[in-house]
Amino acid sequence: MNPLRWLVGRFPTLALARRNLSRATLRSALAVAAVVIGVVAIGAIGTGGEAFKQDQLEAYEGFGGTATVEPDVQFEDGNLTNTELSDGDIGRLRQATPSATVLPVHEPVGATVQTQAGTLLFMARVKGLENPGEFYEARNGTISDNWRRTIVIGSRVAEQNDLQPGDRLRVNVTDEFDRSFEIAAVLEPQGFSAPLGADQTVFVPASEFESDGYEQAIVRVDTTTGSIDEATQAIEREFNAREQVVRVEQVQEQREQFEAFFGTVNQFLIGVGAISLLVAAVTIANTMLMAAIERESEIGVLRAYGYPKRAVVSLLVAESTILGAVGAAIGAPLALGIGMAINQLLLGDPLAFTAAGLRYVGIGIAFGIVTALIAGLYPAWKAANKRPVEALD
Amino acid sequence: MTPDPDEDGFDAGTLGETIATDPIIRGTDVVKEYETGGQIVRALKGVDFSIAPADFVAVVGPSGSGKSTLLNLLGLLDVATSGEVRLRGEDVSTFTDREQTRKRKETIGFVFQSFYLIPTLTALENVEMPRMLDRTPTKTRERATQLLERVGLGDRLDHYPDELSGGQKQRVAIARSLINDPDILLADEPTGNLDRDTGDQILELFDELRSDENVAVVTVTHDDYVAEAADRVVTLIDGRIRDTESRRANFEEGPDP
Ligand SMILES: Nc1ncnc2c1ncn2[C@@H]1O[C@H](COP(=O)(O)OP(=O)(O)OP(=O)(O)O)[C@@H](O)[C@H]1O
Ligand SMILES: [Mg+2]
Repeated sequence: MNPLRWLVGRFPTLALARRNLSRATLRSALAVAAVVIGVVAIGAIGTGGEAFKQDQLEAYEGFGGTATVEPDVQFEDGNLTNTELSDGDIGRLRQATPSATVLPVHEPVGATVQTQAGTLLFMARVKGLENPGEFYEARNGTISDNWRRTIVIGSRVAEQNDLQPGDRLRVNVTDEFDRSFEIAAVLEPQGFSAPLGADQTVFVPASEFESDGYEQAIVRVDTTTGSIDEATQAIEREFNAREQVVRVEQVQEQREQFEAFFGTVNQFLIGVGAISLLVAAVTIANTMLMAAIERESEIGVLRAYGYPKRAVVSLLVAESTILGAVGAAIGAPLALGIGMAINQLLLGDPLAFTAAGLRYVGIGIAFGIVTALIAGLYPAWKAANKRPVEALD
Repeated sequence: MTPDPDEDGFDAGTLGETIATDPIIRGTDVVKEYETGGQIVRALKGVDFSIAPADFVAVVGPSGSGKSTLLNLLGLLDVATSGEVRLRGEDVSTFTDREQTRKRKETIGFVFQSFYLIPTLTALENVEMPRMLDRTPTKTRERATQLLERVGLGDRLDHYPDELSGGQKQRVAIARSLINDPDILLADEPTGNLDRDTGDQILELFDELRSDENVAVVTVTHDDYVAEAADRVVTLIDGRIRDTESRRANFEEGPDP
């Protein structure tokens, strides 16, 4: 007996189910397509989301023991007040946290960046910092400890404008300076929500700025000897004892906020994916109902010849489950493929799947099959409970 | 109303004379009503019947007279509204659906007028179908092949229904009805699509089955030659048995009435 015959003998229900599906190829294919979409949606959103999260979390690495301090900007009588930290404020920060490093950041409002050829870099932001090497690694070029008169740019600025160390950019900051700088280094990519938005930033040495107003200060504690919590509390006591003057946020907290926020967004997206599986379930239920109605008399014959109700239910549920399984079998590799593309894009390694990411592919597969099975139950039950006399009329 | 057994029944007296065995299925004062939209249709108005092993009964009568209804009751596809139907002495109205299904499989073979072959299965697989869940594929295959050869389709085993003529489909349906080794074969117009020669072959097959395997055959027919071949002809008119004609012509073993 050839193996196929053997299989048919062993699993007659599956063999019958498969043949029945092949009778309405297009209808079956559409039902499978619906499952594929659902599985891909859940799997790709899941793995992609995890890759994105991984990418973002990497950006926070090296920011342990770091907090940002910003003036609590007020809007009063049509004017913005308390927009800057003064040199005096920076001094008070340093006094309040003697063990910490305090780095004032210029974030000028009216700043423009142009290439030598005169193209405006709309997306680029300009920040004045004493030493970006404190936080960032250079991808190309070097960031010297005694950094002056050159600029350091974020990875996206470099990519979008095809810039390398040695190229020049013209930076204009209203009321401060307007001159051309050589690019000393391009930073490693930091990710979308990196604390200083480094990827889109052109860092200019703080020494280029004459004003003593800073939009932000970074407070950094060596976590082996000090505690950022204590530093945060000390700053709160110093500035915010009577009223809120500055906002202090630990980067670690931001990271947690990000994680929580991202978790919500991801769940929402996966919910959307799940809805597409729900649509698949409706499609399958419809396919199976049609099949059951079409084959009513045939099912009546099965029943007349002594197939128990259970056998009829198994047959039709097997059909719908096969639709789900085939959909999952096609959808899972697609989801993994999309996941690999996203991994490559965000993490630089197609195989950088996390366990959580792969779990979503698994969830997609399981959901696809289980939804199909459940969708088949009602039509199957209905078909099996039709009395054979009625079905045979 | 109470039917007169002498007039309406398959005639208990005849039964005793034909075969000295217990009937396979027996009905007493069987009434079948259908309810459609609040209206009650009496399809059978109190009939008696009795089918013994190796019987060959032809059921004739005008359209709507209740022939299919009777066949459905004999085949445990439906239950009587009143009266009693006993399968080997057991009241069928006490059977659960599961028991009914099992008894159908053990006892009854159906040949439906419109064949109801499964289009995705070959002739051979269609014949195997009633036993496909039995997990005895080799035995089933042997038996199915044998049956198809017996109905003259040994060279059409791997043809799909749409590659068979009407008469060939009919014969596949007959082979299929025999795969479970039934005690009764219930056939609704089994020769309706066949030319006389093929029809005669089917009748020969029925005879073989009766003499070799004691299979009883109950067939609804409009063909005179089929009715003539039967050893009893039951005429149904408007839900009542009008006339039971007994013959021995085609059944050597029985004594003359
Ligand atoms: N499912 C049903 N619901 C309602 N009435 C029915 C049903 N089945 C049969 N009947 C009625 O019962 C009566 C007998 O029907 P049945 O099918 O037994 O006739 P028949 O003798 O087989 O006729 P034909 O030779 O046309 O097949 C008819 O009047 C029919 O309308
Ligand atoms: Mg009929």
